[in-house]
Amino acid sequence: MTVRDGRLLSLMLATKLYWGMLLVLAAGAMLSPVDASGGNIFLSPPNLTDVLRQVSITGIVAVGMTFVILSGGIDLSVGSVMGLGCTLAAMLLTLEGWHHGTVLGTGAASIIVGGAVYAGASKLLAGRVDGMARRGCAGLLAALAAAGAPVLFGPSLAGGLGVVHTMILVLSAGLLIGALNGAVVTGGGLQPFIATLATMVAVLGASRLTAGADQSVYPVYSGSNAAPAFEILRASVLGVPVPGLVFLGVTAAAWVALTRFRFGREVYAIGGNEQAARLAGVPVGRVKIVVYALSGMLAALAGILYAAQYRQGKPDAGAGLELDAIAAVVIGGASLTGGKGSVLGTLAGVFIFGMLTNIFQLCNIDSNAQLVLKGAIIVAAVALQQGRIPGLRAAGGTK
Amino acid sequence: MIDRRTFGLALGASLGAAALAGCARGGGAARWRLGFSQVTTTEPWRVLFNRRMREAAAAHPDLQLTIADGQDRTEKQVADVEAFVRQRVDLILVSPKESAGLTGAVEAATAAGIPVIVLDRGVDTQAYRQFIGSDNTKIGRMAGAYAVDLLGGKGKAKGRIVEIWGGMASTPAQERHKGFGEAVDAEPGLVRVVDRQDADWKQDKAYNIMASALKAQPRIDLVYAHNDPMAYGAYLAAKDAGRQGEMRFIGIDGIPSEGGRWVKDGALTATFVYETPGAAAIEQALRILKGETVPKRIELGTEVVDAHTVDAFLAKRA
Repeated sequence: MTVRDGRLLSLMLATKLYWGMLLVLAAGAMLSPVDASGGNIFLSPPNLTDVLRQVSITGIVAVGMTFVILSGGIDLSVGSVMGLGCTLAAMLLTLEGWHHGTVLGTGAASIIVGGAVYAGASKLLAGRVDGMARRGCAGLLAALAAAGAPVLFGPSLAGGLGVVHTMILVLSAGLLIGALNGAVVTGGGLQPFIATLATMVAVLGASRLTAGADQSVYPVYSGSNAAPAFEILRASVLGVPVPGLVFLGVTAAAWVALTRFRFGREVYAIGGNEQAARLAGVPVGRVKIVVYALSGMLAALAGILYAAQYRQGKPDAGAGLELDAIAAVVIGGASLTGGKGSVLGTLAGVFIFGMLTNIFQLCNIDSNAQLVLKGAIIVAAVALQQGRIPGLRAAGGTK
Repeated sequence: MIDRRTFGLALGASLGAAALAGCARGGGAARWRLGFSQVTTTEPWRVLFNRRMREAAAAHPDLQLTIADGQDRTEKQVADVEAFVRQRVDLILVSPKESAGLTGAVEAATAAGIPVIVLDRGVDTQAYRQFIGSDNTKIGRMAGAYAVDLLGGKGKAKGRIVEIWGGMASTPAQERHKGFGEAVDAEPGLVRVVDRQDADWKQDKAYNIMASALKAQPRIDLVYAHNDPMAYGAYLAAKDAGRQGEMRFIGIDGIPSEGGRWVKDGALTATFVYETPGAAAIEQALRILKGETVPKRIELGTEVVDAHTVDAFLAKRA
């Protein structure tokens, strides 16, 4: 093999993920049925934007999962948190006054406000007062703020909550659960798999309790209490569905955070070698808590979009979602041992899956055959990622 | 200051004590104890099923009903039935997750001398006292006949149909598919343009399958889904695409708060009631406990809920 060939090969290997995506796109274009005027249905903009919409919920969760996996962890609780998110959103939008949902959401918001005030006050007071006095002052302020939060975030007496209000409470709940995951992993020293497995089970139970034993599904009808503004979350802007825009926005923000900020470098460093990162002065515990909190918050965001799109909230809406998200991240080139991967890879992984599902649906391919094909594609994609193709290894530019 | 571990232990102990107290409650003066092993308690149809059974049992002070949640797992459900046998309940009701998996547990209960009533889904043995359930094939056939009428009547029906599956591996879905096919395939003018898509009984998955079907199919005349939430999910997808007026939607199950409401709202054209055996099971259990002989098999009826019947249906079932 000549040097030139080798270079071409390593360029191809460096961008192989996007080749995979293009391959699926090409397959879709070839297999797609055509419409009456001979146009390709798969490639038509309405169809491709619908693919974007269909992947947005898994995609948003997968972006959060990317942070966690890059840091060397795993978050199995995202499906349950998404389920809680859509159940809470549906309850907050349609039920009146105080109920389990408002108590839970407002409680979470209070704790977060209290925590933020405590951190802020400690920083402000540093240097002026010290020791117990500082902690006491900050604690007092935090308690006041937390106690005041329900006044701000609690429900008014009539009607369901507005959209912004609902989003604040649901995102607070997700953020808090994620932060708890992070705290258990760092403070309790539990393995992420175990810690988030426990959360996954506990949160599912908690959302069922919140929903009530005889209520497995909360409908969100446009005719019900739900504010009409909620429909914005499933509308289209210039032909692009809002959930898709949210997904792309979240991806872009995550890309910036991971590549342009110290926080991103710290996440990679922890995933690469936690001990070395600690010795180099990276605040490992704090970064990890933020990472899990982000994952929880994004799962809750996905829950809100789910409630808007499918007009229902139910505790088990996210069953199996964690596996879809992990699969997308891994197909996107991330290593489950951490430190390697990117959010753009995740984006490609999410789209590979979404486009495949769409092609199968357009061609009316048997659902069972779809499962087999998807399994085969995961293995193929990951093998390609790792350069485990016989004969390519010697020439390949993989580490 | 209490250290963290002590606090955790105290919390755990108090939770445990509360749980034990919960277990110890009940067991009052009832004459007969019934154990009901339910597959799962998180689907609306199962929730309604449990509610109907509880209501019926509450009307008889002689009865004390315990419902065990199988959490949608065969092995959990087998363990639930075995636990009822150990507790020597007077009668066991079981609504199996799957026929083969629960067969052994039902045989063991019968061998232990406890009468068993099997509900909704059968088992592969004759070692039970009674089966109560509905005929999904018959309901599917009714839905098919209804679809033929909607699309022009016998011999003249014309149209393009989307069928959304509940679960390709699930017997109820296979039977609802089969019955529908018997009625629809006899019509040369009817063609099923989408018929291999499985939405796992879920509204959100049906929405996405339908969103793709709407892209691939320039014209759809009827959507038949194996349950109401999937029919409604398909309706929402069509509505969001502005095409809901082009087609009709029919589903199965007829739960008042779901299918009933959607027919009332005009989203679904019709739904077919898949009766829960909750109330009938209690009635039959009492007959068995009083020593009466009961038929081996009881089939529950169905009814169509559409614009003509929905008001009467909702008034009756409220």
